[in-house]
Amino acid sequence: MRKLYSLERVSWLFVLILAIVVPPILGGYLTSILILICIWSMMCISLNLIYGYTGQLSLGHSAFLALGAYSFGLVAVKLHIGFWPAFLAAAVITGLFGFLIGIPALKLRGHFFVLVTLGFAVTIGVIVLAWVDFTGGANGLAGIPRPDPIPLPWGVKFRFDSLLHMYYFVLLFLILTAGFCHRLVSSLLGKTFIAICHDENLTESLGVNTMSRKLLSFTISAMLAGVAGALYASYNAVISPEIAHFTRGTDVLAYLIVGGSATMTGPIVGTFVLVAIPEVLQVVPYLKTLINGVILMLFIVFLPSGIIGGFKTILPKLGGLRGRPRAGEHDIA
Amino acid sequence: MTLLEVSSLNKRFGGLMAVSDVNFSIQSGELLSIIGPNGAGKTTLFNLLTGIYRPTSGGIHFNGSDITGCKPYQAARYGIGRTFQRTTIFRKETVLDNLVIGQSLHMKTGVWGSVLKTSAARWEEQQIREKAREILSFVGLTGSEDKTAGNLTEEAQKRLSIAMVLVAKPKLLLLDEPTGGVNLEEIGGLIELVKKVQESGVTICLIEHKMRMVMSISDRIIVLNYGKKIAEGTPNEVASNGEVIKAYLGERRVA
Amino acid sequence: MGELGQYILNGISQGCVYALLASGLTLVFGIFDIPNFAQGHLYMFAAYIGFYMVTLFSMSYWLAVILATIALGILGLLTYGFIFYPMRDAPKVNCFVAALALLMILEGVALYFFGTETKWFILPHAKRILTFGGLALAMQRLIVIIGTLIVMVSLQLFIKRTTIGAALEATAQHREGAMLCGIKVSRVSALAFTVGTALAGIAGVLIGPAVLLMPTMGMGPVLVAFSAIIFGGLGSIGGAVLGAFVLGLLESLASGYISATYSLTFVFGILILTLLFRPKGLLGKEVWRP
Repeated sequence: MRKLYSLERVSWLFVLILAIVVPPILGGYLTSILILICIWSMMCISLNLIYGYTGQLSLGHSAFLALGAYSFGLVAVKLHIGFWPAFLAAAVITGLFGFLIGIPALKLRGHFFVLVTLGFAVTIGVIVLAWVDFTGGANGLAGIPRPDPIPLPWGVKFRFDSLLHMYYFVLLFLILTAGFCHRLVSSLLGKTFIAICHDENLTESLGVNTMSRKLLSFTISAMLAGVAGALYASYNAVISPEIAHFTRGTDVLAYLIVGGSATMTGPIVGTFVLVAIPEVLQVVPYLKTLINGVILMLFIVFLPSGIIGGFKTILPKLGGLRGRPRAGEHDIA
Repeated sequence: MTLLEVSSLNKRFGGLMAVSDVNFSIQSGELLSIIGPNGAGKTTLFNLLTGIYRPTSGGIHFNGSDITGCKPYQAARYGIGRTFQRTTIFRKETVLDNLVIGQSLHMKTGVWGSVLKTSAARWEEQQIREKAREILSFVGLTGSEDKTAGNLTEEAQKRLSIAMVLVAKPKLLLLDEPTGGVNLEEIGGLIELVKKVQESGVTICLIEHKMRMVMSISDRIIVLNYGKKIAEGTPNEVASNGEVIKAYLGERRVA
Repeated sequence: MGELGQYILNGISQGCVYALLASGLTLVFGIFDIPNFAQGHLYMFAAYIGFYMVTLFSMSYWLAVILATIALGILGLLTYGFIFYPMRDAPKVNCFVAALALLMILEGVALYFFGTETKWFILPHAKRILTFGGLALAMQRLIVIIGTLIVMVSLQLFIKRTTIGAALEATAQHREGAMLCGIKVSRVSALAFTVGTALAGIAGVLIGPAVLLMPTMGMGPVLVAFSAIIFGGLGSIGGAVLGAFVLGLLESLASGYISATYSLTFVFGILILTLLFRPKGLLGKEVWRP
């Protein structure tokens, strides 16, 4: 019996309203930043599913981002089949790759898994750059379309040419992704993921086929990252091999840890903090990797539970701002 | 009726024969205890039965099926439940959630059902929670539903670990030192629980060190030493067996 | 024969670099059970340090080799002291992430301070080509081979012949047992880390003059090094070195006969196959779970 009007829900409703109402008054530059924040947040949420909630640290998500972006771009541009079929194709292709690479990778535990996913990410990065005939190599792919205009009842068409409309489109997907993951991890199925995260051996001895559960989580996670990639491709209209560089994946990991893994709101908070603030401060791109690395190091050593995780530990001590005691470190509200 | 049949079971780790040519069977409904000095191979035997280790050679048949070398989750699905020497529960979850997770092997709701919260999904969740409450009261932990499992007393945690396995409706329950680390006063309560489980139709196989307890509740006893079975029989037969007494010399425990 | 021989020779010199990296990795891995992902970036860093010492400070190359190695060793010691030692009780995953953070920091420093344009570490002797029996070998690569030999032999002597070395080996094999023997595990760990990074340092500064310097130059080699230690069995330096040379040869052969660009992909493929079919590696043993 969850309190409908808990502090947390109210604050997120408030943020959502801001997210909808404020952007029209922001300029193009800020809106484009918000779009990127939404896309990276989606990727962060996908990583949270396999890492925060199922306990498997994947460094390979840059590969899925790239696979989503490139399969969407290639299908849309070379096959001319329209936005939505291409979008669907991107999700399916990326999910398929997630499934296929997950099978060998998830047989391994701990550091082996991390290594294989890292190897996969680097390999995809190499292939994207080297397979010039297919991916365009260093020149990348251009002319990737925005969504087709949607006809509205009163005779007008909702076009996606403007940044603002693209922002709402991406925001919608972020809300869908967050909602999907929230429902998933608070369900019984989600509980089995969390159980695997706590103690995989115990979960297996209780009769759960942990391999297939992990594979399910990994495949969904890969698909969501692929969707984020497709959205990025559509928004940017141009993609290049830098989207396949494994540091895309490690950056998102930094956002996740800083925001707080195994929480629903952590990915979004972490992404916002690490993407918005450097932009506002006009930080040079190459300095970003260094700053992300330093911040990640500080957090993993001193505050591994991240910003949101830290809040949740501190707030009860400040005198019961929370309602009932919350069992389990995996936040599902 | 023979529920479990173990034939010529061997397990080698490099140069060490942890389990050597072990043969025994467990009859449906009985309570069999496995005793022996430390390092005799008792837990290794359990690990072999539940698929955590692959036998080097030999066979394991359960309820008519050949389960030799199966994976741990398969052993559980065949109907073998098992607790561990060090109480293994999900410490960070609530007591109820521990029992909910214990039922996931029978869960039918998939991804879409979970995300869309279909009525089938909600119904299954309700059933699972009710079953969890049922088992909670069976093991005597009603009222602890919402407590964090790690905050329970050692004895309550033992009860919880048994409940977690019971909730999947096993046919054979392997208990690895169920009274380890528990106060003298509380042992009686746990023994009663074990008997209650046996009476409800579950066959039990127990590893224990507390002799008096083992002698009083077991239908049959098997003694292992250095990975080999050195005796088998009723408590009286085993207590008067020369080999057994020799093995325990200097390590006799009267609990 | 000429072509094959050339590929084999190249493979050996590449294998030397991987062997140095892999030995460093397996030392740290054996003691901490943590894969130091940053090993490749440490190697890259050493190459750049050597480069700057020679070109900016007109230092003798050999002096630069020594200094770069020492600098990396110190960096390793500091990393252990400030990061991994405080985290010794944290969940293993946190340490993985810390190693990643180190990688990101090193990459960031390289990108920002060294720049992304590739650099040529030009040394007078480096490009001299030696020929024998129809095979060609750049002088620098010969230096790499000889250097690796010296380092490997010294490392073996150190581990097998000194008390500290024995402590290192003991701790790598059985941490608790070593503690019971009175070995100060934290000191041994610090040593392992220092030696591990120093090995990456030597590898980097030795190979520097033979290759193009780029901030990303470490990623490929470290993945091959990881594949090598998994292939050869974890925790064993002998296995690491064996794996390193096998993979170096395979990569060279793949590069020559199949495709140079995809040679890394090929090695990765081998890693996946090894992990699928022989997860313990060639020389590893089944793990006993008590």
